[in-house]
Amino acid sequence: MKKDEQDNRSIQNGPVRLKGVGDSLCVTLDPALPVDDLQKELSFLFKRCATLAVNAKVVLDTGEKEGYEELIEVLGAFLKSTFGVGSVSAMLKKKRSPDPDEKRSPDPDEDIRKRDVEGSWHHYRSEVLMLMGRVRSGQKVTAENHLLILGDVNPGAEVWAGGDILIMGSLRGTAVAGQPENENAIVLALDFQPTQIQIGGIVGAGLPPSSKKQVEFAHVENDTIVVEAYLEANTFGRMPWLQVR
Amino acid sequence: MDGRIIVITSGKGGVGKTTATASIGAALALEGRRVAVVDMDIGLRNLDVVMGLENRIVFNVVDAVKGKCKLKQASIKDRRIENLYLIPASQSDNKNVLSPEEMVSFGEILRKEFDFVLMDCPAGIERGFENSVASADEAVVICAPEVSSVRDADRVIGLLYAKSITPKLVINRIIPEMVERGDMLNHIDVVDVLSIELIGLVPMDDQVIIATNTGNPLVLQKKSKAGEAFRRIALRLNGMTDLPIEVPQAEGHFWRKIGTKLGLGK
Repeated sequence: MKKDEQDNRSIQNGPVRLKGVGDSLCVTLDPALPVDDLQKELSFLFKRCATLAVNAKVVLDTGEKEGYEELIEVLGAFLKSTFGVGSVSAMLKKKRSPDPDEKRSPDPDEDIRKRDVEGSWHHYRSEVLMLMGRVRSGQKVTAENHLLILGDVNPGAEVWAGGDILIMGSLRGTAVAGQPENENAIVLALDFQPTQIQIGGIVGAGLPPSSKKQVEFAHVENDTIVVEAYLEANTFGRMPWLQVR
Repeated sequence: MDGRIIVITSGKGGVGKTTATASIGAALALEGRRVAVVDMDIGLRNLDVVMGLENRIVFNVVDAVKGKCKLKQASIKDRRIENLYLIPASQSDNKNVLSPEEMVSFGEILRKEFDFVLMDCPAGIERGFENSVASADEAVVICAPEVSSVRDADRVIGLLYAKSITPKLVINRIIPEMVERGDMLNHIDVVDVLSIELIGLVPMDDQVIIATNTGNPLVLQKKSKAGEAFRRIALRLNGMTDLPIEVPQAEGHFWRKIGTKLGLGK
């Protein structure tokens, strides 16, 4: 009994997770781990559902980062030979399109229904760096993807992210989002008074200070940085369905 | 019991570190504690002039740290105030002659001899800062109500936290009339950005310049508002933590304040 509980815990929190989705098995795994470890974890999971695995469709989800085709191939071959699964494929990834219109405009109707039913974020491994505290002058915070700070960013400090930057407090320093070239990224702060904003390759220096006490965010429109009141613009609230950012 | 080593720092120059060190040191000594003030601005010594002790210097802090003299020989007794000692900087060396490791062991010697050791840190965040902070248990950050000073103080606070020292804040050179007109940063805004414990607000005071030039302790001058503020800071450091912080007021503000309280508006 006790051992079972332990096993369950390791399944929930382990580096490899298995879930049935429709007619296939979805496996979420951490691609940063060595192949041997992943194989060990996979055998542990698949041994417990050996009868289900035969001829099953398996989808491998390696998170948002790309470039793990080789790993998926290796693991696929391993699963096919050891457990006789039917097919192994990679999770379909959301494309990062450089054109903002393409992302925000609705796809055809059937696509909407499909996405809603699928709930694609269920197997999504979040890659947000969430910090709390105060970023002081001279400090630089770097996040590979999105950056969320509960606290303030002081003048002279710099926050840098591959994706969006969300500051739950005052932003008075420099914010550099969407590096190196994601111009869809946004910079949002509850109290928006940055020294400088950079999104992708576009720099917004000398932004006029706003005295309005409201949540504002910066995004790129026609190659310039535009700052808008977040609740008024409600860009994301107007999106027709939920999706992973 | 071992003494406390407090570093007085600011990042930016000219905000009043040396004045603060001399004044707080004198006020603590007047409270009956054995106090040493150490000038760590090696190569640009000032603290001896501010305290009016420049003609008594024989040995300095570099000699004491390097073991060329005893601590007793390097510490100069103040002319007026009992229990106050100055360890002056060397004027001929530069900051690189000392290392943080040497300062840590020197700190151990100082701690045994004195109740309070105040380190007058040089401006900047280089070797001189490293040396001053190395042996410190506590830090007092002096900040003027100017954007540039706040920026530098913020940087220094970050560096102090990195050395696991929780700094306390003194806002110096406040001109209440300018604050009232909105031409000077309000102390509330400064505390808002720096978000550390405030232990004192010191107004701009002509007496500071007079005291500095004559080498007389500021805290001995009863008329000096800045001297009074530094005395209260010293009391707070000496354990009276519940002593309220007085906000510098413009002349004539008193009657207006009473007017507001009575509901006469602004």
